[in-house]
Amino acid sequence: MNFLKKASGSLLPIAEAQLSNNSAIHTSAVCCRVQSGRYRITTKRDRPLTYEMANPPHFIGHRKSWNSWNTSTLKDSLRPSQTAIEDVFLRKFITGTWHALVCSEIIIKRQHNTIRIAAIIRQAISPRKMYFLIGYTEELLSYWMQCPVTLELQTVADKKDVVFKYI
Amino acid sequence: MMQLVKALRQVQPSRLYSLAAAVPTTTTTSPTVAAPAEPDQLYSKLEIELRGVDPAVLKSYTWFATTAAEHLNIELGKCWSPRKAHHERMTLLKSVHIYKKHRVQYEIRTHFRYMNFHKLTGSTLDTFLEYIERNLPEGVALQATKTELQQIPEHLRQPPEQV
Amino acid sequence: MAANLTRLLEHKLQTSSAVTAQRCVRLFSTQQQQSEVNDDEEFRVLNLRTVKQQARRREIKKDAVQPPRTSRMAVDQDWTAVWSGPRSFHPASVPLPLRQGYTERGAAAPSKYANAELMKIPNFLHLTPPAIRQQCEAIKKFCTPWPKGLETEAKWKRHFPIEVLSTDYCHSLPTIRHPEARRVTITLKLSDLQFDAHAKDKFLRLVGERYNQETGVLTFVTDRCPTRKQNYDYALYLLTACYHESFVTEPWEDTKSEADMEEYHFERNQAKKSAEAILNWNSKAEQKVAASPSYATSVEQLINEGENEYNLAKYKEEVLKMLKITV
Repeated sequence: MNFLKKASGSLLPIAEAQLSNNSAIHTSAVCCRVQSGRYRITTKRDRPLTYEMANPPHFIGHRKSWNSWNTSTLKDSLRPSQTAIEDVFLRKFITGTWHALVCSEIIIKRQHNTIRIAAIIRQAISPRKMYFLIGYTEELLSYWMQCPVTLELQTVADKKDVVFKYI
Repeated sequence: MMQLVKALRQVQPSRLYSLAAAVPTTTTTSPTVAAPAEPDQLYSKLEIELRGVDPAVLKSYTWFATTAAEHLNIELGKCWSPRKAHHERMTLLKSVHIYKKHRVQYEIRTHFRYMNFHKLTGSTLDTFLEYIERNLPEGVALQATKTELQQIPEHLRQPPEQV
Repeated sequence: MAANLTRLLEHKLQTSSAVTAQRCVRLFSTQQQQSEVNDDEEFRVLNLRTVKQQARRREIKKDAVQPPRTSRMAVDQDWTAVWSGPRSFHPASVPLPLRQGYTERGAAAPSKYANAELMKIPNFLHLTPPAIRQQCEAIKKFCTPWPKGLETEAKWKRHFPIEVLSTDYCHSLPTIRHPEARRVTITLKLSDLQFDAHAKDKFLRLVGERYNQETGVLTFVTDRCPTRKQNYDYALYLLTACYHESFVTEPWEDTKSEADMEEYHFERNQAKKSAEAILNWNSKAEQKVAASPSYATSVEQLINEGENEYNLAKYKEEVLKMLKITV
C-alpha cells in the first residue's frame, strides 16, 4: 500500500493540474436502457413492486412523474450537473439515515433556494425517534446544502401499503 | 452638477463624450415632477416566460397569475404557449459496446408558456411580480422582461449649443 | 402357559413404552410444562439436552395511530388556514377522495393513502380562488393606478420616448444570479432626437447597425459590464456620446470627395454645369441663367431613387420645359 501512497502523492498534483486545465472529466455515456428501472418477474410471482417500480422509465411524464423537481434540466439552465450530484447525495443520506424505513422513492423538490424532500416512511420507530431524525436530517442537510431543507413525510403502518402489485 | 458639466463643456468642447459617463447621475437628480420622493417608474409591458417540464403545472400557474392580475386591476395582454415543447435529444447506442444499428434516444422536454401584462406603475409591478414569484411552484423557471418608459435625458433634448 | 407369558410380556411392554413416551414428552416439553412437572415431583430432573429457551418475542408497543385529520374537519372550515403555504400532498390533511395512477382496465386507481404520485406533482392547494382573493386584497395597498392621460401608446410615447428593457430570472438554485440578467436594451425613435443634416448623417454612421432603416428605431444592447446598472449607464453613455459627437465637424470631413458621397446632389455635379452651359449658349449677358429647382429635384430623384416610370416621365417633362420644346 505504501507504494500506492507514494505514487498518489506524486501523481495527485499532476492529475489535479490536468483536471483544472480541462475543467471537466469526460466520461462515456452510460446507456442501460434495457435493464435500468425494470424488474424481472419471479417464478413464484411474489416480488413486491410499488407504483413507481411497476412503471418503467419510459412512462415518466405519462404514467408517473419525476422524482426530482428542479429547473436545472430545463433549456438554458444553470448548474445541471451540480444539482444532479446533490440529488444523489440527498437520496443516499436519507436512505442511510432512515435505515430500512423509506418505503418509496425520495422526492426532491427545489423551489427558489429551498429544498423540500418528500418520502413515505414506515411506522416502525417511535414518534420521538422520528421527530429526532427529522430534525437531525434537516439540520445536517441544510448545513451542507447551505439552504433551508424541509422534510415532508407521510407514514404508513406496513410496508405492504405501498405495494402496487406482485410480479 | 449641471453647471459643472456645462463649464467643462466650454473648456473642452471636442472631448465631450468622455463626460457623458457622468450624465445619468445628473438626470436622476433632476426629476421632472416636483415630488419630494423619487418619482415612480412606468412600465408599459411585463412579459413573463415560464419554462417547465409539466404543461399542466404551467397551465395552473398561468391561471393563478392571471387571476391575481385581475384582482389587482392589471391589464392582461396575450397569454399563449407554443403547441410543441422543446425537445433536447441525445442518441446513444442501445448496447454497451457494439451493434451500431440499434440506438436509443433520451430526451428532455421543456414546455414554454408566455404571459403579457400591460401598463403597470413601478410599485404595482414590484408587488405583483414578487407575489407571483413567491408562489412559483417547484420545477418551473420564470423570466420577467420589463419594458420601462423613460423621458429623454435633459442633455439630449436640444442639440449641444457649443461643439 | 405360553399364551399367558406373551400376554404378560405385552402388558409389560405397553407399560414400559408408556413410561418412555411420558419421559420423552417430559424431555421435549417446554419449560412451562417442566415447571408443572417439577411441582408434581420432588426431585428436579437432570436435563442434559436443554431445550434452547425460546426467546419470548418482545411485543413492540405501538402507540395508537391517530385517525386522519380529515375525519375531524368541519365542512365550513377556513381552508387557507389548513393549507397556508406550498407543501407536498398529505392525505390526512386533504379531505378529498382523490385517486391517482394508471391501472389496467377495470381496476380502480390507487387511493390517496401511501400514493407517491400525489406527493410528487406540485399542488396548488394553497392557491385556491379564495386564498388568491384574500392575498390580493392584502397587497392591493402597495399598488398604484396607471396615471391618467397616458392611456394609449401614442400618448405615452410623446412623453416617454425611451424604452429600457431588462430581464429578471427566477429559478430554483442556491444562487440568485443569472449571467443574462445584466443585459440592458435601450430603444428610441430617431425622430425623438433633434439633428441638423450633417449631424444626422454622422450620427447614423456612428450608430451603424443599431439603427433600423425600416422602422426608424435606434436600439442599444449592452452586456459588457457585470451589473445591470453599469450596463444601463453605459447604454446611455453610448447614446449621449454618439449624439454629441455627431455635432462635431472634424477638419478632415471637408475633404469628402464626390466618390464618398452617399447621395447624389445636383448642386455639386456635372449635370448642373452641363445644364447651365446649354442654357447660357452664346449668351453675352452677365447674369447667367441657372437651371430651375424643379429640374434639379427631378434629376436628383432620377439618380437617387432609380429609374422608374414616374421619375423618367418627370425628367422628360422637366427637360422639355427647360429647353422650351413643345411636342
